[in-house]
Amino acid sequence: MKRSLAAVVGVTAAISLVLTGCGGGDDDKSASGSITLTLAGWSFATTPEFKTIADGYHAAHPDVTVQLKEYDATNYDTQMVADLAAGKGPDIYPQKSLKNFYTYQNGKQLLDVSDVAAGLGDKVGGMANYQADGKTYAIPYRQDSWVLFYNKDLFAKAGVKTPDGSWTWDDYAAAAKDLTTKFKAGGSKAVGDYEHIWQSTVQGFALAQTQGASIESGDFAYLKPYYTRAVDLQNAGAQVKFGDATTNNLTYQAQFGKQQAAMMLMGSWFIATLLKQQGNGDADKFDWGIAPAPQLTKATTGQSATPVTFGDPTGLGINAKIAKNKVAAAKAFLAYAAGADGAKSLARIGITPADTDAVKDSFFQLPGVPQDDLTKWTFTHHDTKPENPPGKYTAALQNILNDLHTAVMSGSKDIDAAIADAQTRAKNEVLNK
Amino acid sequence: MTSMPMVRRGRARLVLRNTAVGWSFLLPNFAGFAALTLVPVALLFYYAFTSWNVFGGAEWTGLDNFRQLSHDHSFRTALTNTVYYTVFHIPLTLVAALGLALLLNRKLRGVAFFRTVAFFPYITSIVALAQVWNMLFSPSYGPINQFLRAIGIAHPPGWTTSADWSMPAVIVVGTWREAGYYMLLFLAGLQTIPTQLYEAARVDGANAWQRLLAVTLPGLRPTTFFVVVMLTIGSFKVFDLILVMTNGGPGQSTLVVSQYIYQKGFVENQFGYASAISIVLFAICFVVTVVQFLINRRGSES
Amino acid sequence: MTILLQPPSLEIPIEPARPPQRGRTKRLLGYAVLIVAAAAILLPFYWMLISSLKANNDVYTIPVKWLPNPVVWKNYVDIWHKADMTTWLKNTLILSFAVTFLQVLTGSFAAYGFAKVRFPGRRVLFLAYLGTIAVPWQSYMIPQFILFSKLHLSDTLWSIVALQAFGAFGVFLMKQYYETIPDELLDAARIDGMSEYGIWRRIMLPLSVPAIASLSLLTLVTTWNDYLGPLIYLRSHSIWTIQIGLKTFVNSYNAEYSLIMTGSVLSVLPIAVIFLLGQRYFVEGIATTGLKG
Repeated sequence: MKRSLAAVVGVTAAISLVLTGCGGGDDDKSASGSITLTLAGWSFATTPEFKTIADGYHAAHPDVTVQLKEYDATNYDTQMVADLAAGKGPDIYPQKSLKNFYTYQNGKQLLDVSDVAAGLGDKVGGMANYQADGKTYAIPYRQDSWVLFYNKDLFAKAGVKTPDGSWTWDDYAAAAKDLTTKFKAGGSKAVGDYEHIWQSTVQGFALAQTQGASIESGDFAYLKPYYTRAVDLQNAGAQVKFGDATTNNLTYQAQFGKQQAAMMLMGSWFIATLLKQQGNGDADKFDWGIAPAPQLTKATTGQSATPVTFGDPTGLGINAKIAKNKVAAAKAFLAYAAGADGAKSLARIGITPADTDAVKDSFFQLPGVPQDDLTKWTFTHHDTKPENPPGKYTAALQNILNDLHTAVMSGSKDIDAAIADAQTRAKNEVLNK
Repeated sequence: MTSMPMVRRGRARLVLRNTAVGWSFLLPNFAGFAALTLVPVALLFYYAFTSWNVFGGAEWTGLDNFRQLSHDHSFRTALTNTVYYTVFHIPLTLVAALGLALLLNRKLRGVAFFRTVAFFPYITSIVALAQVWNMLFSPSYGPINQFLRAIGIAHPPGWTTSADWSMPAVIVVGTWREAGYYMLLFLAGLQTIPTQLYEAARVDGANAWQRLLAVTLPGLRPTTFFVVVMLTIGSFKVFDLILVMTNGGPGQSTLVVSQYIYQKGFVENQFGYASAISIVLFAICFVVTVVQFLINRRGSES
Repeated sequence: MTILLQPPSLEIPIEPARPPQRGRTKRLLGYAVLIVAAAAILLPFYWMLISSLKANNDVYTIPVKWLPNPVVWKNYVDIWHKADMTTWLKNTLILSFAVTFLQVLTGSFAAYGFAKVRFPGRRVLFLAYLGTIAVPWQSYMIPQFILFSKLHLSDTLWSIVALQAFGAFGVFLMKQYYETIPDELLDAARIDGMSEYGIWRRIMLPLSVPAIASLSLLTLVTTWNDYLGPLIYLRSHSIWTIQIGLKTFVNSYNAEYSLIMTGSVLSVLPIAVIFLLGQRYFVEGIATTGLKG
């Protein structure tokens, strides 16, 4: 009896402790005049970009301290939504995925930063994606674009002509098959190309390059030529089958870095990764370069035209609930991050900033970056369309399109049936609901 | 009131006393439970009738969410898949868990080791587990299909990469993972069966099978009931296993209700609609559980 | 009554004596089956183990390499530098034991109220308990998070304790077990003048050691492996648990598979040891504790 009573008392004490709480508040009492801004980010150990801009800004504005707040990389939006809903969000937070911009903007969680955008002019790529009702709600500081990575050594070994910026998808497919045949004859297990399991590898290009294509139209016929080619390449053995890539959890870094494939379409962020992996031995040492992504028609190929590709920008937004006295500093921070100074410091760590023209010199001074003309040209010439044009229905429609992707690539459904199915679903579940 | 007979008053006092005693037992747990779980769950019932978007905006929309749900094709697919999983997962896991418990409830050299091994799938990280099973199921290179080809099956299934076989593959892994977990509960339950009952049965000439039917299974009734209820709810709510094994694919072939709720809420920011789906899932689980309760009560009375 | 007071047996009685020859072959065969089954069950763990000893780019290959070559022991040194494993393990241990203690204590206490005290409304209340298990956590995660934030619980270890310790699972499990203990036993104690709390303490608790053992182990494992709870509630690095720490590590070093597997192996080992030590209560629990009261 006595002991059970003690237990009850103990538990009650524990509960009251729990209820009164013992959490440290995160009040940002600042010394007179100085301001502390909180900036969200992810994976600080391997993603130095947040610290780079925070430190750079602090150096230019010593009275403002930028405090970093780490979020989980894969569950960034889940954590951010929870924090914002509870009124505990950071002052400045990146729009990690363009797909979710609508959620924050429509949920009134972003401050209008049109004045910052006006001050930056039109050099910053991807700005238009963050506009709604004539106002701008986030400022892109990086803009990756998808390009074609190719292994010069493997091309030379097979005796196949390297990409020259004039390729359409047919040229690409022919080269992939040609490479595969020659590798096989030479007793090598490498194949022509690797396309990662993401829906973007097929759908991103289809959406960007097809005239009049739009996700919100609910008409997905534009996907057909792209899927026909992707399925054909994997059936021809020129590329690892989707099912084998998913079940074996193949990584694109190793597929290209360990010379399993001679070509790979990937975002420009992979440049930094590849440099690092070649440096520390995770990837083989070989000569490589980047070329523009293959085009749908000849009209956009060659160096007289601008190749069309896709890629989502990463923008910084300001929490709508930010303290009034911090707004000016936060806006100045955004302007710094997207401006030429921020861009240069980002380029030095291998990041593709939103303003590529301003940084091409510092970028190509990084050790290990290919120095050929095509690579340099590709880095600065691109008409980059968003993969997820912001909109009320984008997230829901992309889910449907992802189901289409896995169904077609795994061979569970043929392309016509899958498109018809996705269109019906889009109409019934999203557009006309 | 004053004319109430003494017996009734005594009875009333007893009820009062029992209520006080009963609540004093419940309170430590109930206080925490009510404040931290029951309140948010109750809120959910409100949000299901709104267009809640988590950031405060929750406009009352009446039955709109439920109306939309009634002709949501994907929801129907998710529900069918969930029922498919449940119908196979429950009996398979039940039999496997009971079998393991019976096998490991004896004095045997190394029984501690084998029990730990049986429990291992449950403690191994789910990511590693999905990884290994996916490799085992790999259509062209996986050991399972290599074996099937070796015994003469020319076109073995594509398992997690085929719309028809992905669900069976997930069910196999789900059963394999949870059998050890429920084995533990059966092991505890087996301790409640008095040895004397076995001896009496043996005196009556019952063989091992008959003893299992006449003594073990009836003795395990409360445990079995618990396991079945938990398995049912767990199967209806299956989430993380699907997420790491197939992520609902290929196509929608392994899309389940919990995953659909997550998609609608966190990915598409339709938390009101997601709440409505949760309420439906809750209602289904609740009805099934109550039926199980009634069956259990009738069974234990007879 | 006397029969029921005797502790239940340790095992299902062994089959009647058989010719020794046949018994031995059968036993050997039984072991062979168990060993094969154990090997099959341990396969994913084995894969984790060999992957943790491989060079990074050898982890995912076609076809699978079942032996590490060369063996890379360095991963087990590197992980302590790259990841804050000590802090994570410490926090996880504290949380797991705190949650398990509270869950077993309040759960078995409440279960007694549900199973052995008759008062009006307990069935409805119990169904409410059960009902909440059927609601997926993802759907009420945000309202709960807002509530916890208002209580200043988020970003403290208390949030995970509060989240896990008062679950319905323990109440249900203990209630089912208590129902197998005959009421006559309790009535006898009541006649002897024991209070309800005394009965719980001196009769129910000792008799339910196997149930407490399984509840403890299951709660411990659940808390240990919980990922979503810490993900939502714990932001400061100093209070991270092993699962959230590992996952963040995975996201940061998303291409360093062998290190990730090293971390996974290290995260499983403590719980395996605890299980190995704890499982004996399924055999010895009742026999040693017995009925002394």
